[in-house]
Amino acid sequence: MDWALLAETGINGSLIGLMYSLVAMGIVLIYKSSSVPNLAQGSMTMLGAYIVLAYSSRFGAPIWLAIVLATLSMFGIGIAIERIALRRLAGRPIIMILMMTLGLEILLRAGSLTIWGATGRPMPIGISDDPLFLGALLINRAYAAGAAVAIVIFGLFALFFRTRMGVVLRAISDDYTAAWSVGISVERGVALSWAMASVVATVAGVLWASVQGVDQSLAHLLLKGVTVAVLGGMDSLGGALLAGLLLGIVEGIAGSYLDPLLGGASRDLVDAAMLIVTIMLRPHGLFGRHDIERI
Amino acid sequence: MMTETSPKPTKSAVLSLNNIEVVYDHVSLAIKGVSLEVPDGGMVALLGANGAGKSTSLKAISGLLVAERGEVRRGDIQFLDHNLRSLSPQRRVELGIAHVLEGRRVFEHLTPDENLIAASAIRSRHDMIRNKDKVYTYFPRLYERRFSAAGYLSGGEQQMLAIGRALMTQPKLLMLDEPSLGLAPFLVAEIFQIISQINREEGLSVLLVEQNAIAALEIVSHGYLIESGRIVMHDTAQALKSNPDIQEFYLGGAQAKNFHDIKHYRRRKRWLT
Ligand SMILES: Nc1ncnc2c1ncn2[C@@H]1O[C@H](COP(=O)(O)OP(=O)(O)OP(=O)(O)O)[C@@H](O)[C@H]1O
Ligand SMILES: [Mg+2]
Repeated sequence: MDWALLAETGINGSLIGLMYSLVAMGIVLIYKSSSVPNLAQGSMTMLGAYIVLAYSSRFGAPIWLAIVLATLSMFGIGIAIERIALRRLAGRPIIMILMMTLGLEILLRAGSLTIWGATGRPMPIGISDDPLFLGALLINRAYAAGAAVAIVIFGLFALFFRTRMGVVLRAISDDYTAAWSVGISVERGVALSWAMASVVATVAGVLWASVQGVDQSLAHLLLKGVTVAVLGGMDSLGGALLAGLLLGIVEGIAGSYLDPLLGGASRDLVDAAMLIVTIMLRPHGLFGRHDIERI
Repeated sequence: MMTETSPKPTKSAVLSLNNIEVVYDHVSLAIKGVSLEVPDGGMVALLGANGAGKSTSLKAISGLLVAERGEVRRGDIQFLDHNLRSLSPQRRVELGIAHVLEGRRVFEHLTPDENLIAASAIRSRHDMIRNKDKVYTYFPRLYERRFSAAGYLSGGEQQMLAIGRALMTQPKLLMLDEPSLGLAPFLVAEIFQIISQINREEGLSVLLVEQNAIAALEIVSHGYLIESGRIVMHDTAQALKSNPDIQEFYLGGAQAKNFHDIKHYRRRKRWLT
């Protein structure tokens, strides 16, 4: 094996993995606040990308402005989704809530097909196709940018969760009845987490679209997001970041070895294996919280 | 003190429950016609065995029944000038009702300091800082441990944190659900002393739910006894302490004995005083 090629595959894999983390972080944000595994996170990512295109092509906004406007719109859409679809389900069995997010997933995907059609469109955010050179290694520029943004977003959340409002959100995720008992508006906290997840979805949507274009296949990122979120422990943003890194590296390297043998499906097989093995052997994931043991 | 505009102003009461009835899941009747009063600045105990309806009564007052598909189906809950029945839990906290939950329920993954910050959601930053100082003065042990995860505190420290967290909302009425649960007797004594100190110094009214009647009757002025969802006795702490049935029941004299059996109390269940 060529070591340089292995290193190159590993590094590019880790960058792609951090871009998966962006999708996973959205899932984690919602799961932390309300224990709802959001199966619509992939199609929210897709929707974010479509809305950016809508602002830039329909209204002719420059791309950076389109991204800002789309982010704000998605913030509102996140709040609306919680308010309209989820709040009324509070206290219902989790399976009904899960099915509701699945319904949203289908709705957003089918809705986007109706409005924007199935033709893929480019997302021109001005990242050049030329690789970066790291010594002799070729690094994909778009992946590097995506990974950097993922790390910045993670850092922003780490700071946010130290603020007063962030502490309140963490309190809700610890014990919402106790949160209620001290006057915290749990519903508003959950709505905020949907809004933040929608913002992250927009960012992920733009970055992934710059790599693979805008179409409904962006919604398939749900599978990567879920795998990474489960591997990272569902309720840990840091876990999502590191699990993305891990999955990206394993996927990249396994892919480059196994693809010739398995005909291209090896990455998905690796994902499936990681997901299933994590759930079987380590349901709390790598970094999920175990309930603190009383002393 | 001003007299409240309640229909029957016996004395000035911060809280009065009038014949309330609570059902869970639309069918299961948990308390039936509970009436009680907490005088302004006073301390009152609500005593009873497992499943008697103590926690349900507190949740009816704080509004936390909604989280468990429970509902007040009949009766009035009057707090100062407000009828609470239609208000959200958050609104009731804003009005000055604090409910310290059974089993402490601290935010385990937050530090004690963050627990107190989270509990100031309805107050300004300025109030938060002042209230935190106050809580740390009452509970110096929390101050020492303020930066370690609350889940790792001892049971007594968690109870202190749960009380401190309630104080952060600046309540007028502090309701405590079995604060003595699972604590060593010396800790129970210590925590109960601090509760009466807070009652004296802050002018806070206290509604104390307990199975540990002996300890509770030491610090309250009045007590209610609840059994199978009904108030079966109401008297001064002094009288309750010397009541033979209370002594027998709570000192474990007769294992099989239950307040169900005390028929004459059930008949005069009202708080006729
Ligand atoms: N969420 C619920 N759903 C249905 N029934 C409930 C619920 N919570 C309590 N009950 C029932 O209501 C009755 C009163 O319960 P409650 O918790 O108020 O008792 P308690 O006096 O606080 O008992 P303990 O001392 O064990 O805490 C019991 O019969 C109980 O089974
Ligand atoms: Mg109880």
